[in-house]
Amino acid sequence: MKLLNCPMNGLRPLGEFIYGGEYREMPNPNNSSDLEWASYVHYRDNAPGVKKEWWFHSPSGTWFIAERNTLSDEVLNTYLFGKAPFPKNENLSDGKLGDEKNTELSA
Amino acid sequence: MSTINQRPVSNTPIAYGLMSLSPTMGVINGMEVALEFEGALIEGNRKSILGVTDVSCFASFGIKGTEAASWLMSQSIQIPMNRNTWVEHEGYLVLRLGGSEFLIEGQYSEDQYSHEIFEKLARFNQATVAGVYKVQRADAAFILSGSEVLNMLSELCMLDLRDSALASNTLVMTQLASISAILLRHQLNGEQVYRVWCDGTYGAYMWNMLLEVARELGGGAVGLASHFRGTHK
Amino acid sequence: MSYQNKDNMRLAKKIGEWIDRDKVIKFSFEGEDYTGYEGDTITSALWANGVKVLGRSFKYHRARGVLSLANHDVNILVTDGVDTNIRADVVTLQSGMTLKVVNTEGGVVNDKKKIIDSISALLPVGFYYKAFHSPAVLFPFWEKFIRKAAGLGVVNFNYPRITQRKLNAYCDVLVIGAGPSGLSAALMAASNGLEVILVDENQQLGGSLVYDRAGGNAAKEMLDELSVKMAETPNIKVYTGSYAAGYYADHMVPIVTAKGITKVRAKTVIAATGAFEQPPVFRHNDLPGVMLGSAAQRLIYRYGVKPFNTCVVVTANAHGYRVALDLLNAGCTVVALVDMRAEADRDQYVGELARKGVKIYSSYCVYEALPSKSKLGVRGVTICPFDEKNGTSNTANSITLDCDGIAMSAGWAPAAALLYQSGMGVRFDNDIQQFVPNSLPNGIFAAGKVNGVYNIKQRGLDGMRAAAAALQYLGKSVETINVDHHQGASPSHFYPIVMHPKGKNFVDFDEDIAVKDFINAAQEGFDNIELMKRFTTVGMGPSQGKHSNMNAIRILAKIRNLPVEKIGTTTARPFFHPTPFGHLGGRSFHAHRLTTIHMWHKAANAVFVDVGAWSRPAYYQKSGLSRIETLQQEAIAVRQSVGIIDGGTLGKIEVCGPDAGLFLERFYTGKYIDQKVGTTRYALMLDESGVIVDDGIASRLAEQLFYLTVSTSNAAAVYREMQRWLQIWQLNVGLVNVTGAYGLINIAGPKSRDVLAKLVDIELSEANFPIGSALETQILGFSARIIRVGFVANLAYEIHMPSAQALNAWKALMQSGVKEGIRPFGTDTQRLLRLELGHHMPGYDTDGLTIPYEVGAEHALAMDKPFFVGQRSLQIIAKKPRNKILVSFVLPLDYSSEMPQDCNLVIDDGVIKGRVTSVSYSPAAKCVIGLAYVHPTQNQLGATFEIRTDNGSLAKATIVKTPFFNAE
Repeated sequence: MKLLNCPMNGLRPLGEFIYGGEYREMPNPNNSSDLEWASYVHYRDNAPGVKKEWWFHSPSGTWFIAERNTLSDEVLNTYLFGKAPFPKNENLSDGKLGDEKNTELSA
Repeated sequence: MSTINQRPVSNTPIAYGLMSLSPTMGVINGMEVALEFEGALIEGNRKSILGVTDVSCFASFGIKGTEAASWLMSQSIQIPMNRNTWVEHEGYLVLRLGGSEFLIEGQYSEDQYSHEIFEKLARFNQATVAGVYKVQRADAAFILSGSEVLNMLSELCMLDLRDSALASNTLVMTQLASISAILLRHQLNGEQVYRVWCDGTYGAYMWNMLLEVARELGGGAVGLASHFRGTHK
Repeated sequence: MSYQNKDNMRLAKKIGEWIDRDKVIKFSFEGEDYTGYEGDTITSALWANGVKVLGRSFKYHRARGVLSLANHDVNILVTDGVDTNIRADVVTLQSGMTLKVVNTEGGVVNDKKKIIDSISALLPVGFYYKAFHSPAVLFPFWEKFIRKAAGLGVVNFNYPRITQRKLNAYCDVLVIGAGPSGLSAALMAASNGLEVILVDENQQLGGSLVYDRAGGNAAKEMLDELSVKMAETPNIKVYTGSYAAGYYADHMVPIVTAKGITKVRAKTVIAATGAFEQPPVFRHNDLPGVMLGSAAQRLIYRYGVKPFNTCVVVTANAHGYRVALDLLNAGCTVVALVDMRAEADRDQYVGELARKGVKIYSSYCVYEALPSKSKLGVRGVTICPFDEKNGTSNTANSITLDCDGIAMSAGWAPAAALLYQSGMGVRFDNDIQQFVPNSLPNGIFAAGKVNGVYNIKQRGLDGMRAAAAALQYLGKSVETINVDHHQGASPSHFYPIVMHPKGKNFVDFDEDIAVKDFINAAQEGFDNIELMKRFTTVGMGPSQGKHSNMNAIRILAKIRNLPVEKIGTTTARPFFHPTPFGHLGGRSFHAHRLTTIHMWHKAANAVFVDVGAWSRPAYYQKSGLSRIETLQQEAIAVRQSVGIIDGGTLGKIEVCGPDAGLFLERFYTGKYIDQKVGTTRYALMLDESGVIVDDGIASRLAEQLFYLTVSTSNAAAVYREMQRWLQIWQLNVGLVNVTGAYGLINIAGPKSRDVLAKLVDIELSEANFPIGSALETQILGFSARIIRVGFVANLAYEIHMPSAQALNAWKALMQSGVKEGIRPFGTDTQRLLRLELGHHMPGYDTDGLTIPYEVGAEHALAMDKPFFVGQRSLQIIAKKPRNKILVSFVLPLDYSSEMPQDCNLVIDDGVIKGRVTSVSYSPAAKCVIGLAYVHPTQNQLGATFEIRTDNGSLAKATIVKTPFFNAE
């Protein structure tokens, strides 16, 4: 069984994780076209290469991002969302985006 | 046995798993739990090989949030400073689950049992403390003891839990018998044991799995009294 | 009468033998009693008794004896009681075994099916494909016969469920194979402080050092030296009689032992897996008495058994000479050594053999083995001059020699299955005529024969080289070790194949595949190795090509006139050897969740149903009543008085903090920021495409505390999505999943208020606690959250309490409701009750494409909010025409035809317009009621549509308003 490095709990067997799909940058819903929005929701290029993916460590309730080469199945890096070289989500104009207090959530 | 007040006695989360065993039951902290299954001699032997004890009756309190650590410290409760570690202090265990969640569990030893702590915690009102949220707990909690514990765990858990791999103050949130559980190793009355917590609604399942393996390896169910004989009033 | 000759073939005690001659074991084989010694395999014990016909081949039912004694003698499968397909060549003899050979009709000696062998010319490969598939209508007829002939052994349907433990283990270095390379590697790694696991499929350590002795002591002395060191090294955990079954990601290798599977997670893996000896191919190379040289050696040194009385050794490498010396040492008469190579006289052992009187025929081949009259053994061989370059034999000058057996050594194939699985790249080394590793993944190392190293001293060194590389990989500072490239003659012959006009020169002993079958396959166009494998089935039998793939590749290369490396190899998948299902299954971990009220349900005759991991009462069985009648009675109790259901399985989530309302407004479709404390609101959850995922109730218990109930089956997923969005939105919110920590009891019906009122200190009147109210109070001295809900009845309450107290609360409510006739009901009844009120259930009345507009949930969509998950998609979807809508329908009061079922189709003029999602007879409405998707043009109150029932009849349904009955 493959091992995956949870940023909070370390190297764990894949059976402890749930795959959360490819990470996609949400376009601003207020000024994106229907086509752009539909692409964001439904389109995946499925091309092999390094992808950012959501993974969830089930026993601790930790969501994180894994950068994985889907061709070689090699995981290059894992980190909590917003805690690594990662573009911030700044599309939602209301609310308190950028507050990082909650990145260490657990179940 | 004493109950805290007039309130009805509750059942241990593993009660359904105890039905066929008819142990001697007793009430601790308002919860009816198995004190003895087979008598001291047999249980003593089991305990040294592979004993499984239900300690879901231990007082427990859960809390989480960005300010949880500082609030606990403000209440003079000693907390572990690193994530996924634990400390034991004057009759209670404090587990730091991840970075910002804590599970505090009273240990059964009435002489030094830290009633005060839990009374203080019970008064916690999350409406008045920002960034701190109560986590209602209803865990099934177990003590695993004896020489064959690692043998059992090597079947139920994929992680390396040997002394060389699991540091003494580290806890792991992992899967045990295919469900999520918290696991650590500590000293109880001078002997090394493993502690397991899982969601109480999985308690009967976990109890049955632990017993199934324990029996194959020459151990079995051990009542709470076996571990706390002498300390128990 | 028996044709088995019953000579005593047991030798005097051999130093290092694996048997204990003080422990005699009695067993029977094919109805006759024999004895062996502890440590014997079934085969070695039988051979010691002179029993040479041990099995029958799969296809032609030819008599077979020993081939390898290394777990690919798959024609020797026996049955012992309930156990079948026992591999006699490697399975240890047990006292009292009652063995029968599989795949015979009338016993192994007189197998009636041997007749098939005489008509084998009529059964070429591909015969079945071609003969029976056209005309297609006749195939079922033929299939019966083919199925009877196919397969080995008889499945015992009473076979007990025997599961073994599956354990996890960890190490720095896993060394697979305990021959000279593996032992040296393990010792070197361990002496540098690493934690080592060493695994070998044989019962004892040593690999070929145990038996490949060339009549001398050097190998044994080397083994003794290594064994002493092993005994002195504590940090090597040894698994013998166990095989590494496969390679899995991140260096996980399951080790299969007799007692179960140990999944080893290693930091590095050293494969010192050795090589399989390969047979030369000549006519009748399969007769009992014809065996691989290494098999003969194993018989001699492991089990003290003489392979033959008088034999011929045929070889195409140096190993045959070593075998001949071992045979002489065991007292066999070696009539001749037949060397297929032109340059045989250069071999170092030529002089020694000649001195011992063995006649050496260089550039000769065994043209054919001559069967005894019974065809159950060998009476001699015909040898003749052989041109190894062209593979031609000169039969004009043939010689016939008398013997009772033949030892064969033509070369080796690397046991590289695990290395292939790990992702090894290979190249073909012409100097040794073998595929060797060209590139290995990180942390994987190869040593010894599998790495192309054959010289005995170099093999040990190669193990140390691999260990040094593993140490360096793990960050230890050790010196690199170099190993010399192979010198001298190749250990494997490039084409040890002897053609014969009458065939029966077998390549694959599992499936009786001879050389001409490959030629036929190529002529049919199956001239790619993967196609040829499937057409001829070479390598597809139980030994998975361990003794046949290399020769098959060579034959195909020759047919296509290509170098071997251009042919490539086929994939060797896990498991390395067949593994019992009980091992693979291991202990069952079927986790199930129970509420704390479960014991009460059990005692009350609940019939349970699995809902996800939960076990829930579907209804409570009453004697004499059918399920339907019971449901109806439970429903009537709720409508007329009061019912009670355990809802502890529902998902329960606390959303706390200053941004809790904002969080919910983004997560759900409704509005929560302005929700008043003490009230509830409907919570509809969509995914980003606007599809309904779940629904529930949001109760605001305090300014900064919302308490969410979500459906049982979605609870974990909903909480998970909340966690993810919270991470993305970074709001000041705390999420607490209290699904297991809180019990939930729902009491419903006109008398529910009266029953609950006796247990609480709050005023429950309609004015004070109307539908949509929620508050925290106490029951039995414990905190309780009470929510006025309307899912199954207009008057109903949910009581949420710490789960340890749920059973007490349940009992108190049952006690409180005695006068009112309170009755427990299950989930099946609950579904009927909510249907009567016209409520749809996500996942039941919706599917993975249903949007809110299709179920009339527009009221739940606060489209004027700045954002919610799914909102933007709904804006797009709203512009498009609908093609279905969920409606409520009834059937006529007097409807008595076939009852419609969930998923029956809505048909309009022969065209499918929708489907039924829920349907039931309602005792409250006194007719059949249901929900169904119809085309929007059909959606008019009072309009009718037709449902096609299971028997094809059409039921006429009328669209009505809900609730379906006249509520109180």
